[in-house]
Amino acid sequence: MIIKKLFSTALNITTRCTATRCTTTLAATLILLSSCSDNKEYETAICALADISGTYAKEKKSMVKIIQAGIVPSLVPGDSLILMTIDSNSFNEENIKGKLKLDYRPSQANKQKINFAKQLDEFADKKVSAKYTDISGAMMLCSSHLKSTQAGTQLMFIFSDMKEELKPGIKRSFNKDEFENIDIVAMNVIKLNEDSANPQVFRSRIKKWKKRALKHSAKSWDSTLDPTEITNYIDTKR
Amino acid sequence: MSSLYIWPQMPFLSITVLIIASMVFLYLARTPMHQALESLNDGIAGGLERTAEWIKSVVIKMQEKNKKVLLESNIAASEQKIAQEFKRVEVSYTKHLAEYPALHLKIDESISAIDADFQECGQVVPEAPGWNDAVESIANIKGTASGDRVIEKMLKELHKSAVDGEKMALSEMQKASTKRHKILSSLAPIWKKVQKIMSEVNTRVELVLETSGKIEKYMAEYEKVRKGGDDSIDMLSSKATKLFVFSIIVITVAGFGAFVNFQLIALPMSELVPAGTRVLGMQVSDISALVIVTLEIVLGIFLMEALMVTNIFPQIASLTLGKRRILLYAAILGLFFLASVEAALAVLRENIAETNAVTTQALAGKADTSVSIEGSQVTVIGQATLGFVLPWILAMVAVPLEVLIESSQHVLNRLLILIVILIGYIVGIAGHLLSTIMKTIIHIYDAYIIIPTQIENLVKRKS
Repeated sequence: MIIKKLFSTALNITTRCTATRCTTTLAATLILLSSCSDNKEYETAICALADISGTYAKEKKSMVKIIQAGIVPSLVPGDSLILMTIDSNSFNEENIKGKLKLDYRPSQANKQKINFAKQLDEFADKKVSAKYTDISGAMMLCSSHLKSTQAGTQLMFIFSDMKEELKPGIKRSFNKDEFENIDIVAMNVIKLNEDSANPQVFRSRIKKWKKRALKHSAKSWDSTLDPTEITNYIDTKR
Repeated sequence: MSSLYIWPQMPFLSITVLIIASMVFLYLARTPMHQALESLNDGIAGGLERTAEWIKSVVIKMQEKNKKVLLESNIAASEQKIAQEFKRVEVSYTKHLAEYPALHLKIDESISAIDADFQECGQVVPEAPGWNDAVESIANIKGTASGDRVIEKMLKELHKSAVDGEKMALSEMQKASTKRHKILSSLAPIWKKVQKIMSEVNTRVELVLETSGKIEKYMAEYEKVRKGGDDSIDMLSSKATKLFVFSIIVITVAGFGAFVNFQLIALPMSELVPAGTRVLGMQVSDISALVIVTLEIVLGIFLMEALMVTNIFPQIASLTLGKRRILLYAAILGLFFLASVEAALAVLRENIAETNAVTTQALAGKADTSVSIEGSQVTVIGQATLGFVLPWILAMVAVPLEVLIESSQHVLNRLLILIVILIGYIVGIAGHLLSTIMKTIIHIYDAYIIIPTQIENLVKRKS
């Protein structure tokens, strides 16, 4: 009975509604519906790669401090951060040490930030070290994670001396679009003894990485960013 | 160029031959060429000239229409004002003159009291007995001067009685005067009362007269507008432009106020409304904040309509007083609710900002994360007050908004007319310029074929 009544009402409305008015209403509804979108293109996804191999393992605490004081506070509700380690075989899900996806409610987001900071402290306290340095593998894993977020801004922070030493038997080659839409920053790049002896070694190493990243579609490459400028850098990339 | 040479090895000769050939050709084709150029001139320049004329006629029509619209809208506004004033007169008569009979009764009573007292004051006190005449008669009796003791004694007694009688009469007189003075002094408060009542009557009558005076003024204005003379058109036009400019200024300031209001509630709204979706690039929480601000303006419009300050919706103006009162209370209640919500959101905003600051400091590893509580409380109170007051201020936007809508019609029409006039001038100038160019081309053409033309003239003269 009710269905019959509803049907007759609908029919009545359809008859009354002139073609123009109906088309306009329909078009307006469709435009409004099509204009609805999720926030992904406005979000920022950050991936921090922490080198725990060789001499750089000593930098763990200062590295965590930079992430806590520089990267985490600059995240806004909806942003995400993933922490990965660079070790002998970095292209491994086990290398993911922490994930953070901020809630859209500011109060919850603040709580999440504090909890993640504690997680980072725990990571800094753990004594782990790797013999080899698989930077490329970590970058590939990071890239696939960043792409999966579909965030509008994708940033990759590499905390390493940028000297890659692959374990025998491991092969790493990037796809042409491996770093598409990703801004890469080599942070806190310390100088090794050989670099101090000959700065050209350091310069050519960094240059090589830059060339490699840009060749594989990276949006930008930076290796001179000051830790205090991280917030500004993230804000400009948004 | 060299490809045009008849003899490439002899450029000068080739050019000379070409010039002569073209001269002969143009001389022979002079008449059709002239006709062609004149036709082209007529076509383009004439067309532009006609377009300019058409634009002029359009401008005149637009100006007429604008005048008509301006007059009609002002006539309607004047009629509405007069109708409103009549309503006010009705209210004023009902309110101020309703108590007039009571006041009149009071005045009557007071006047009767005064009259009665006055009558009482008017009673004459009886004169002292007429002893003087008796004394005079006895004094005239013969023998009085000889010192008749009986008469002397009688006279003394009479003198004594007369003096006593005078004293008594004087005393009676004094008593009566005192009594009358008392009655007269009791008249003073009644006079004052009458004076007060009269001034009250005066005030009420003045109020009624003031309203009537306003109607007179509006009627004069209405008559002037209805006549539609150039003076009144200019006056209305300048008034509309002035109102447009002022309302634009007020609306701009209100726009900034709305922006501040939006900023105040946008952040805390993200705490209440899920911000995971966007519409037209805006977060849903931002849209919610915008909706609140817009609702405040809408409620303000209804408030002003119910108060009859504005007249955007004629349906509201035609409502009965009771229904309008309901609308008024609903608008005030709605605004109060939204203002309270905003005040609460402003407090929440400060809370979030404080938490953000503390979190950032904690993440930076700073030991001293304490925030000045006193300073924070002042900020909270300030923001809450701002959150509560801003909606009421925004509600006032209805008045300049109505003025802007009304005046913009005329001002935008005037602007459009100015643009059309400008286009007309440009078209007219272009037509004139093209006509001059075409004439110049014809003259240059004639100058180019001057040699064959002169030869022709010579031949004609000889023959």
